[in-house]
Amino acid sequence: MDVLPSEEEQMVKNLAREFLEAESPPRLARDMEKDDQGYPPELWNKMAQLGWFGMSIPEAYDGQGLPLTYLALILEEVGRSIAPVPFHSTVVPALTIASDGTEEQRQEVLPRVSQGSLIMTWAFQEQDPRLLPEAVQAQAVADGDHYVITGTKMFVDNFNVAEKCLVACRTAPASADNQGISMFLVNTNTPGISHTPLVTLAKDKQSKVEFNQVRVPKANLVGELNQGWTVAQAMLDRATVLLCAQMVGAARKDIEMAIEYAKNRVAFGRPIGAFQSVQHMCADMTIWVDGAQLLTYEALWKMDEGLPASIEVSQAKAFCNDKCQAAVRSSQVLHGGMGFMMEFDLHLWYRRVTAWTMRLGTSFEHRARISKALIDQPGKVWLGMDQIPVA
Amino acid sequence: MDFAYTPEQQTLREEVRQFIAEYVTPEILAEVEESGVRSRGPKTREMYQKVADRGWIGISWPKEYGGQGGSRIDQYIVEEEFGRVGVEVGGAGSGAPAILAAGTEEQKKYFLPGLIRGEISFALGFTEPQAGADLAGLQCRAVRDGDEFVINGQKMYTTRAHSGSHIYLMARTDPEAPRHKGISIFLVPMETPGITVRPLWTIQNDPPAPRRTTYGDRRTNEVFFEDVHIPASCMLGEENTGWYVGALGLNLDRVGASRYLLSVQRDEDIINWVKENDMGGYGPSQDPAVRDRLAELWIEAQVCRLMTMRSMSLVERGGTFTYEGSAEKVWAPEHGVKTTETIAQILGAYGQLLSSSEDNIEGGVFAHNLMGAFQSGINHGSAQVMRDQVARRGLGMPRG
Repeated sequence: MDVLPSEEEQMVKNLAREFLEAESPPRLARDMEKDDQGYPPELWNKMAQLGWFGMSIPEAYDGQGLPLTYLALILEEVGRSIAPVPFHSTVVPALTIASDGTEEQRQEVLPRVSQGSLIMTWAFQEQDPRLLPEAVQAQAVADGDHYVITGTKMFVDNFNVAEKCLVACRTAPASADNQGISMFLVNTNTPGISHTPLVTLAKDKQSKVEFNQVRVPKANLVGELNQGWTVAQAMLDRATVLLCAQMVGAARKDIEMAIEYAKNRVAFGRPIGAFQSVQHMCADMTIWVDGAQLLTYEALWKMDEGLPASIEVSQAKAFCNDKCQAAVRSSQVLHGGMGFMMEFDLHLWYRRVTAWTMRLGTSFEHRARISKALIDQPGKVWLGMDQIPVA
Repeated sequence: MDFAYTPEQQTLREEVRQFIAEYVTPEILAEVEESGVRSRGPKTREMYQKVADRGWIGISWPKEYGGQGGSRIDQYIVEEEFGRVGVEVGGAGSGAPAILAAGTEEQKKYFLPGLIRGEISFALGFTEPQAGADLAGLQCRAVRDGDEFVINGQKMYTTRAHSGSHIYLMARTDPEAPRHKGISIFLVPMETPGITVRPLWTIQNDPPAPRRTTYGDRRTNEVFFEDVHIPASCMLGEENTGWYVGALGLNLDRVGASRYLLSVQRDEDIINWVKENDMGGYGPSQDPAVRDRLAELWIEAQVCRLMTMRSMSLVERGGTFTYEGSAEKVWAPEHGVKTTETIAQILGAYGQLLSSSEDNIEGGVFAHNLMGAFQSGINHGSAQVMRDQVARRGLGMPRG
């Protein structure tokens, strides 16, 4: 039991921070909000050279084969620097290909992701925004050597620059055996696909993607037919915990700015940070982000150990949603009118952390998953138990 | 990062659970209930001896003083399991960590084996009528007289004064020095002439709180010192460094199972209770509002656990706290209050029934918790003072 990062883990994190502090100033995030592509290829290529995208991709596919925790520590720093890169949206489907794809799919995707020459995304949510199998209504119908996909996907990250998209589709009604979901790797330039950019709180690049009779070769099925919910669930859990890491990183930087501001801003004849009311806010903000970080690390550790981690992921995300939000809101409050000004950088972090609370599961959704496990499964529960029964 | 207990530690937990199932009998629990968690009746003492025989008390203390030289986490596991059934064994709050850090060889050799045998236990003599949260304002005097000190003054809310063998006394040795620099710590036998103990009865006394209640103490005390002569060898650490020795003790005292369990036991209890009880058809476990709140509390309780693990990881690495112990002491007690008050709204009118009432729930522990949970945000450093420490020591914010 040692819940603090090891020396190697800390080193990876420190190097990432140094790099991003030099290469990804807030100015860049602002510029990319207005950019059509939304990311700077130069920064993307430098990150690829550092081996970041292949961090948790097996060595056989040009990756580094390191545990997910290492990738998460990098993404924590990416969150901290709010670097505008399609990093999360690329590694999430890539890791699913690594775990559930065929050998051909791995060969096609993973080395290119590791090298930084392939930007990817994934599409799950629809009109019913819940991350549940019953919310998947986009149809994929078999037709010869192809599946034909029709439906509308929402909130697809970086679709505008993605070359491939991993799409969750309905291939059968839910049955006693399975949820009738299948996952397909789709080239985004396939005829029949159109997308509309959404204007978001974080000013990031998300799209509404319409699939109209889109023909996808059968070889692009990822995982087994109708068994895709298992694949999707693992992907969503991984995506969620990696987003938690980003939230923790961004929230930490955000509150550090507020604490620094409080030490320097003079009002009533002293720095406002000398007032206990302000000190206590800062103490709480720190405690909240610490808690979010600990929960996130534990979920990551469980995943890396190959243990069921869905409850731990939900714990982390529900807590991040509530407490990272509260922390960055407090930072805004501490900055007074200044934080409300476009020219001041603080809102860049606030808008992202806030937007991320709405992505990949609301607090209600995650707590429902937890209560189901705690309450609806037989047997006593206790804190620190090896394995919380999974619903 | 490693969030696992070792296989040996898991085995230890199993062994402790088996021991508890076998030896912590209903008679012992009744005796604990009767005498209070912090006192020990004859059957409890017998059981305690068996615990000591297994080497489970003072596991992390050095072998030369009767400990096992084991890890702090092993010790935590033992304390946690006994704590869950409401029986306190050794370790945290014992004064041992501070004695190990600041004591003379003689003191270590005398106190640690005594603590392990259960013959020695400390009452914490810090608070005074005019010095609680502002501890450095204490007035109890210790005046040197040759090889002795003479103590005069009063202590307050000294919970174990009637059951402990010694008092861990903070007294002023130099009234001319700045507040924090004229204080020393003394380890004083309670039987020393001139010490008078007067009971203070708490709001948990009538009817008595069940043993697992958070701050279910029925009694605390005032302690009066009138010309109490003690040998100078009772002093712990150097003269006038007592503030720092005391702070060390408190910080270490905040780490561990008992402090953690105070804040999270009701989380486990209520979830396990709603799973088994449908309240005449209401079925709180299927009420969506209740389910959402229980999950929220569970997550927060996990944060309590992880903050405790963080503190222990720091101790195990030999690092020092900057703010982590204080952060834990803000988060966990306030969480405990939130849980307690949420449970009240789940149980409704049944939640008010005290230990002696017909139809009470789980012996009235939830009702009594409403009178005790908030106390854990006050004792051993209030949440407000802890926030000051997080901000000033942890974040480097300026003093007002």
